[in-house]
Amino acid sequence: MAKYSVFSLVRNALSYHENWQRAWRSPDPKPEYDILVIGGGGHGLATAHYLAKEHGINNVAVIEKGWLGGGNTARNTTIVRSNYLWDESAAIYEHSLKLWEGLSQDLNFNVMFSQRGVMNLAHNLHDWRELNRRVHAIRLNGVDSEILSAAQVKAEAPILNVSPDSRYPIIGASMQRRGGTARHDAVAWGYARAADQRGVDIIQNCEVTGFVINNGRVEGVETTRGPIKAKRVGVAVAGHSSVLADMAGFRMPVESNPLQALVSDPIKPVLDCVVMSSAVHVYISQSDRGEFVIGAGSDLHVSYSQRGSFEIIEGIMGALCELVPMVSRMKMMRQWGGVVDVTPDRSPIVGKTPVEGLFINCGWGTGGFKGTPGSGHAFAATLAAGEPNDMAGPFSLDRFRTGFLIDEAGAAAVAH
Amino acid sequence: MADVVTEMSPLDGRAGSGADTAVIVEHPHLSKINLRGDSGDQAFMDAVADAVGAAPPVEANTVMTAGKHSILWLSPDEWLVVTPEGKQGDMEVALAGTLEGQHVSIVDGTDARTTIRLHGADSRNVLMKGCPLDLHPRIFGPGQCAQSILAKADVLIHQLDDTPTYDIYVLYSFSRYLWDWLADAAKGFS
Amino acid sequence: MFLIDCPYCGPRQQTEFHCHGEAHIARPKDPDAISDVEWADYLFNRSNTKGVFYERWVHNHGCRRWFNLARDTVSDRILAVYRMGEKPPRVKK
Repeated sequence: MAKYSVFSLVRNALSYHENWQRAWRSPDPKPEYDILVIGGGGHGLATAHYLAKEHGINNVAVIEKGWLGGGNTARNTTIVRSNYLWDESAAIYEHSLKLWEGLSQDLNFNVMFSQRGVMNLAHNLHDWRELNRRVHAIRLNGVDSEILSAAQVKAEAPILNVSPDSRYPIIGASMQRRGGTARHDAVAWGYARAADQRGVDIIQNCEVTGFVINNGRVEGVETTRGPIKAKRVGVAVAGHSSVLADMAGFRMPVESNPLQALVSDPIKPVLDCVVMSSAVHVYISQSDRGEFVIGAGSDLHVSYSQRGSFEIIEGIMGALCELVPMVSRMKMMRQWGGVVDVTPDRSPIVGKTPVEGLFINCGWGTGGFKGTPGSGHAFAATLAAGEPNDMAGPFSLDRFRTGFLIDEAGAAAVAH
Repeated sequence: MADVVTEMSPLDGRAGSGADTAVIVEHPHLSKINLRGDSGDQAFMDAVADAVGAAPPVEANTVMTAGKHSILWLSPDEWLVVTPEGKQGDMEVALAGTLEGQHVSIVDGTDARTTIRLHGADSRNVLMKGCPLDLHPRIFGPGQCAQSILAKADVLIHQLDDTPTYDIYVLYSFSRYLWDWLADAAKGFS
Repeated sequence: MFLIDCPYCGPRQQTEFHCHGEAHIARPKDPDAISDVEWADYLFNRSNTKGVFYERWVHNHGCRRWFNLARDTVSDRILAVYRMGEKPPRVKK
């Protein structure tokens, strides 16, 4: 597989860019693999990549019922940050952020990771106190975070309305400067290409229809493209986790809710950081194309429709017009929804299931994109060893029995 | 001990506003009694009729009017008894008397909500700017009421006539906001 | 946006309602007598069905009554509305 570089660009320019190699193969499934990863989104592909790269396990397949990155990977607002409250979360999200920082080099694929900074606004005294507490806790975990005054917020993002008379006055903000955005498709494609290069089979249009389980141990899966045996199976299917768990005969503490996002028409650069407000459930950044990428809140009902309620959009746009008055003169071009898998403590589940040899990685809820590298890294280690590693350990499914919950509702609830 | 209690509304001092065809006027201090009971119990219905002059409406989203009193349907076992200003004490005593011994709830909510009257040919158009109810005359007409949302505020809307005229009941804490919203929404109509 | 037929008020826009998740989850009669696994199952695990799903809603900006919906979580089509205490109707997608 050719390495992407300025030389390959020049070489291919000479043949009018008509001879680029396909970025990954499209193989038929083999009868058996050492490890089978279900779900060809960012998390599943990252898992396969790190299995091959870090653990030398190449006899791996990723099976995907649709196409690569056709689910939440392509539907999120691409925000990357690691400012979580609890130690366990700080460990995995910060590990993820560190992987993001070297990801383009690691994958030889430009994922357009831009550390433009992520700002969380405080609109009232409670917000302000909570935000200060979080910044201290986050810094104690060695993660960068700082407090900005209203004047500093205005300097960072002049389009914000910081007037004390506004509907949502801005008292200040926390800022993680190492946070930012990345290009979501590129993340899926980059991981797919890198994994494929190391021998991983990526099989699209292959839907799991059942598990082969004998004496409580998984032996493979039934798919729309025939049965596939595997020694270990990892499930990374986000919103459809409960559906696959049901096939395997166990229940999950997960609910699948619609989460929406939208983009505006493109304008000249006016915002060079990410602005989030948990209080009004809105987050906004400007893409390289000039569009505002706007995240909305999630609906509270279960839905697999990839559509949310209009009232959510109406609510956040009302709030956004107050926060960023110029938005009132813009057009919104596209609006869509994804199916997010939300756990009771808003923290992911990475680890074992009641079925031996069957592992699950889900529950990333409204904030899975940022976790992609860290999640894949930890899940790969878990699948390779057959035991959760230190990073995945606290995020076991068993925590709902033991009560060792990792409550990140404040960091994760909606604002991502 | 002072025995003069001056009733105050958060909208005091606000004159009629809006547009010619969508006028808003506050009707503060209408007596409002929240009544709960079992409409399937004839004794309850009779006792309310004795006190108010009419039995509570059983049909959803309707209003029963008897003289100066109105009974607005809120839910299958809950109504708002509306009577003229200053009569809440009399009405509460009357209801408590006829309903004595029954399993009911009678709570004076006069000072919880105020009433904004919206009147004029464009009133419906003003409401439609911020209310998800189907206000088409075929669906919602005089003698009907509904609890819903108006510009994010919880409201109870009662249509009085075909003009149309609406009484909008809103909590004190939302009333200034809603008044300003209505005045703004009425702009452009005349 | 759903148009929900409140069993008491009639059809109203979803904005007036609030969803409270899966219906018909019975609290264990004697929590002390059951294992942690069973308690966790009651407390946290949810069917999260893809297909016909039974859920609780409350008309919190209207009559403030609770009721149940049967809804297809794939098409979001509402298949039945029934009152608290009633048995879930058999519905087809």
